[in-house]
Amino acid sequence: MLDSLSAWLALNIGEQASSWFDYFTNGKHLAWYASVRFTLLAAVFGALLAVVFGVLGAAARRAGFAPLRWLGLGYTTMVRGIPDVLVFLFFPLAFEQTVEWFMSRRLCSAEELATAVNWPPCSAAQWYLSTTEYLIMACVSLGIVYGAFAANVVHGAMNSVPKGQLEAARAYGFSSRQIFWNFQVRQMWVYALPGLSNVWMLLLKATSFLSLLQIADIVQWADRLGAPNYSSRVGLVHPDWRWKYYFVLFLFYILLAILSERVFAWLQRRASRGLALHGEH
Amino acid sequence: MKKLLLGLALSTLVGSGAAIAADVRIGTEGAYAPWNFLDDNGDLAGYEIELGNEMCKRAGVSCEFVVNEWDSIIPNLIAGNYDIIMAGMSVTDERKETINFSAEYYPPDPSKYVGAKGLEVDFDNLKGLKIGAQGATIQAAYVESNLADGNTILTYETPDQSVADLMAGNIDLLLADNSFLAPVVDGSSGAISFVGPDVSIGGGVAMGMRKEDTDLAAKMNAALESMKADGTVDKLIMEFFEAGPFFEN
Amino acid sequence: MDWLLDNALVQDIIELARPSLFNIYFALASIPIGFPLAVLLAVMKNSSNGIISRVARIYIYAFRGSPLFIQFFMFYSIMLAFNLSHWKPMGIAHIVMHPLFIGPMVLILNTSAYAAEIFYGALRTLPKGEVEAAMAFGMNRRQIFRTVTWPNMIRLAWPAYTNEVVFLFHATALVYFTLPVINGQKDIMNKAGELFERDYNIFLHFGVAGLYFLVISMFIFFVSGRIYKRLMRHIGTDPTTRLKLAPNYMR
Repeated sequence: MLDSLSAWLALNIGEQASSWFDYFTNGKHLAWYASVRFTLLAAVFGALLAVVFGVLGAAARRAGFAPLRWLGLGYTTMVRGIPDVLVFLFFPLAFEQTVEWFMSRRLCSAEELATAVNWPPCSAAQWYLSTTEYLIMACVSLGIVYGAFAANVVHGAMNSVPKGQLEAARAYGFSSRQIFWNFQVRQMWVYALPGLSNVWMLLLKATSFLSLLQIADIVQWADRLGAPNYSSRVGLVHPDWRWKYYFVLFLFYILLAILSERVFAWLQRRASRGLALHGEH
Repeated sequence: MKKLLLGLALSTLVGSGAAIAADVRIGTEGAYAPWNFLDDNGDLAGYEIELGNEMCKRAGVSCEFVVNEWDSIIPNLIAGNYDIIMAGMSVTDERKETINFSAEYYPPDPSKYVGAKGLEVDFDNLKGLKIGAQGATIQAAYVESNLADGNTILTYETPDQSVADLMAGNIDLLLADNSFLAPVVDGSSGAISFVGPDVSIGGGVAMGMRKEDTDLAAKMNAALESMKADGTVDKLIMEFFEAGPFFEN
Repeated sequence: MDWLLDNALVQDIIELARPSLFNIYFALASIPIGFPLAVLLAVMKNSSNGIISRVARIYIYAFRGSPLFIQFFMFYSIMLAFNLSHWKPMGIAHIVMHPLFIGPMVLILNTSAYAAEIFYGALRTLPKGEVEAAMAFGMNRRQIFRTVTWPNMIRLAWPAYTNEVVFLFHATALVYFTLPVINGQKDIMNKAGELFERDYNIFLHFGVAGLYFLVISMFIFFVSGRIYKRLMRHIGTDPTTRLKLAPNYMR
């Protein structure tokens, strides 16, 4: 199909249009376009996990059991002091090492364990990670980092649920656990939505880190495509075009931000139907 | 070993998620034309890819190429991410301490300097220049130990970056393999040219393997020797580099 | 004393001390220009002139809507593209192509957008009565800005701006992911990565790196809290207006 389109362009518009079309639809470029899937998958699943961690973190913060409360507070305060990129890299590497540590106890000889200078101690304990595993870990990483933000939002939103509703539930004889999960958590979403939309925007931007976990994402392909090439054997000869490709990514992310804003505005309108919100418009 | 990706260089497994079905995995950089590079289709191509595939065929093993950034290409071989390195890697004594080398599949070739056209510097006394090389290469080792005094040395994660910075005038001189630079100089339409003397460092180019993999080394060496004997290697050198050095068997 | 120096944790804290100065430098170098630029952008966005307001709006949206990571890559290669045609003839190539220049440059562009949004929010919530009172006194626009708008804006925006400064400090972790390292000038992340590659102890090295960021962030909150107290002193010590360490504000 691409070929016939190219031929049509050559015939009707000119050879130049056709050759540019061929350039932008060559395998390398198609791989670049296709790598958007990693970005979107990481954003969507990272966000889902962030909401889960957010609710759990917020629940921990109001738990009756003090150590759990501290844990919740420690988790949500973490985002204040540590850069997202550090946590993003730390979790997958630490998880991988932990798995390899357990594998090495089982698979490596005592001698190898004692004398090894490299990690893992023996090659049998090497956990080889492909893009899929790294992508899953990237989602979890994003979930952990932005879950802390979401926990904060959720915590605040739970406080915004009208006390009258909760008191009414109590009067009907619901247990405090039921009240928490069935009323407070269920009712808080509409109050949490503006904050969660903010978290989503942050998470979306953090998907640009995927290449740091050896995932061939849009950033990595942009770097490859933009790199100067002086050999016709490799492909189109061109000088350093990296900034042009990065500019496309710059615009791509802005476009995603605009789209997300629209979707959240629509969600907010839907969610607030029939609700009298005080000061939330 | 797990390598952190710090810096512009990024690595990947080509054909992501490919099952580890092949007998032998070959690690390459995928950014070093005409040795190994990603072609227009995003597939690996180049001298080493053709050579490696033919060698595997003669050795009777199925092979798969894996892209790995240059910086961590030796540690990841040792860690078992792949079994062979074919990435334009010169044989050096230092590398021999950690890995094993096969017979050479590219004869020793001098390194060369390139600079902006018309650059005139005194090569007997290089001072006050910004000199670039790709990190963890024989050229980087050479400039760091011989030219660091009085000059600024910049090392790059990928060959492309070093060329980009040279073209943009961010470095005055770039030291690299002749075989890599020749097409760049040709394609630059006169913007850069070879300058100064040739620098002979390092041996020829060979496959890197783990020290314990002696069976694999023997098998691949035998295949390589047969390709040298019937002139296949020289033919491939001619095809990809358009010039010698040849083995001339 | 020796046992202390042999301790791996102490060793890491010492090793990362010098790199942390680079992160501090990047943040400190960005604030003196980023702050006034942000105020200017906020005033522009709040302007009644449609074109001025739109320019500021687009700038703020673009830099808040795209990842800093990409902005770093993009501006480095844009700077590189101008090297031969502009920086070299002007004789400033060795300065402007240096990461110690490009790092703060991109951070300034980025943080000014985020901070501008904060100041703009503050401008929108200024007490109308005070401005009207100032007008009734016959003050001109400049006087009103100096005596009413400016102090109120700073006071309203201070907690959120503090938060932005902390985020800016965290953003410095990205500089050497994207820019070349010259003469072994490494920041916390870079150094921690290097230490990690030596012995693969991620828990120790990244833990200490995180500790550095945590401690310096807390220090920023502490200093900012003291300044906030001064800003608010005429209002009296109202416990509810204390700068909270809980993450209330979002970047």
